[in-house]
Amino acid sequence: MDIERIRKDFPVLSRMVRDKKLVYLDNAATTQKPSVVIEAIADLYRNYNANVHRGVYLLAEESTQAYEDSREAVRRFINANSTKEIVFTRNATEALNLIAYTWAEANIKAGDEIIVSIMEHHSNYVPWFRLARRKGAVIKIVPSRMDGELDMDAYKSMLSDKTRLVGIVHMSNVFGTINPVKEIVSLAHKKGAVVVVDGAQSAPHMKIDVRDIDCDFFALSGHKMLGPTGIGALYAKESYLESMDPFLSGGEMILKVTLDSVVYNELPWKFEAGTPNYEGAIGLKAAIEYLEALGMDTVETYERELTAYALEKMKTVPDIFIYGPLNAAKKGGILAFNIKGVHSHDIGTILDSEGIAIRAGHHCAQPLMIDCGVSAMARASFYFYNTKQEIDLLVAALKKAKEIFGHVA
Amino acid sequence: MSLEELFKEIIIEHYQHPKNQGHLEHPDAKSDGSNPLCGDEIAMELRFDGDRVKDVMFTGNGCSISQSAASLITEAIKGKTVEETKKIMGEYRNMLAGKEYDAELLGDLEALSDVKKYPARVKCASLSVAVLDQALQQKK
Ligand SMILES: Cc1ncc(COP(=O)(O)O)c(C=O)c1O
Repeated sequence: MDIERIRKDFPVLSRMVRDKKLVYLDNAATTQKPSVVIEAIADLYRNYNANVHRGVYLLAEESTQAYEDSREAVRRFINANSTKEIVFTRNATEALNLIAYTWAEANIKAGDEIIVSIMEHHSNYVPWFRLARRKGAVIKIVPSRMDGELDMDAYKSMLSDKTRLVGIVHMSNVFGTINPVKEIVSLAHKKGAVVVVDGAQSAPHMKIDVRDIDCDFFALSGHKMLGPTGIGALYAKESYLESMDPFLSGGEMILKVTLDSVVYNELPWKFEAGTPNYEGAIGLKAAIEYLEALGMDTVETYERELTAYALEKMKTVPDIFIYGPLNAAKKGGILAFNIKGVHSHDIGTILDSEGIAIRAGHHCAQPLMIDCGVSAMARASFYFYNTKQEIDLLVAALKKAKEIFGHVA
Repeated sequence: MSLEELFKEIIIEHYQHPKNQGHLEHPDAKSDGSNPLCGDEIAMELRFDGDRVKDVMFTGNGCSISQSAASLITEAIKGKTVEETKKIMGEYRNMLAGKEYDAELLGDLEALSDVKKYPARVKCASLSVAVLDQALQQKK
């Protein structure tokens, strides 16, 4: 991979921040956008903007085609069977809520059990928590092991004939752990449970094959994989989507309305009420094509090398504690850490003064923070446009932070 | 902007060795608050003697700014009348908002004046006064 050439594709990466070159290491929050994505969106508005699925004129045909081409790009990217199985949403959060308010609302009963892991982002916990409260269902939490990997033995012992749904994050946005979703799914299916995979962090960084994973639902966010904000996707097996009631209702999702009856639209449009974010979808298609041209295997290999390098170098910062697996083979490029005596916010501010952007806080994973006995962590997260030199700058700035706060015992 | 301005020695000193940290035996008022985004937490306990803040203690955890602010502000108001306390809190808020303020009244609290240059951190510095506000409202 020619990183210097790749970096030129991302205009913001050449920006100066506080008189320093921007070092953007908050990719788990959102990623930067290549020119092709920015231009695809501008091209829509310059040349063929029209509401989709409505007009009878050429512009509308073009915008509708571009919107549906994006659905095909998402299908191909995660290897779904059919574009009927790809529903556009605002983001992963909305995709997960859609499942909670449709399939789960209709199928989860009092006494049923829902299994999720301690690593879940709030967006794959709170919808199930609220559902369980509404229905009188029981939530079980799979813990992580000391090494930051999921405790599969605990998971196996929790599965029972009462298990109706398993929600699992594919790649943790805190530990970076890549969970064995294929095995999780196959075990759950033996008990007749459906599996929801939160792919918000995995889809941007590794090859996804939903047919191979065999999950029933898979959620992703466009903005975490070079796309614009406000566009995400839900993959669901066709049989589930057929059986599910719509989520939101209004225009677009119906075929026919009289004053006393409605006929829902076909899949996937049944789940897309109102004017969709076609601008976002068009940007997402450009993002997917960019990733495909690089090759997801290449992305994954390069990021693993970067992660291994970062794990090695960060160990040299005095009093640092790195959460999650320390083996780069087990995780994505997400490193959460704390430095004794320096609060993560202070780390964030000190790094900012060096032009380095990282995240500090609870990362929308408060149950995991509590489990680790902290209220906040600092987190550096990489993408394929990051470099080893940037990691060196990060490590130097962390050492500076430690110096400012002195060496406290 | 320099880091030395933000992380002054006195701030780090109060962060690492906070004053007035702990609990009071029989507080007349207490209150707590947090910054949901960053997880900073502060709880304040006060004892009054007539019109005066006779004693004040805090507990909390969080970044150097939120914790040193709690330490510094408890120092500033201990023994002051409620009226004076409110005046100090008002001037402190002015300082964080980048307005004119009475430096003499603020004393050591002025060490936090550069926080205003870091908008993301102003919430950390103001948590203590928000909590104190609530506690003072409990005074009959
Ligand atoms: C693991 C994981 N799941 C879900 C989400 C939610 O993504 P969004 O906010 O785009 O809906 C995130 C985003 O931080 C995440 O990291």
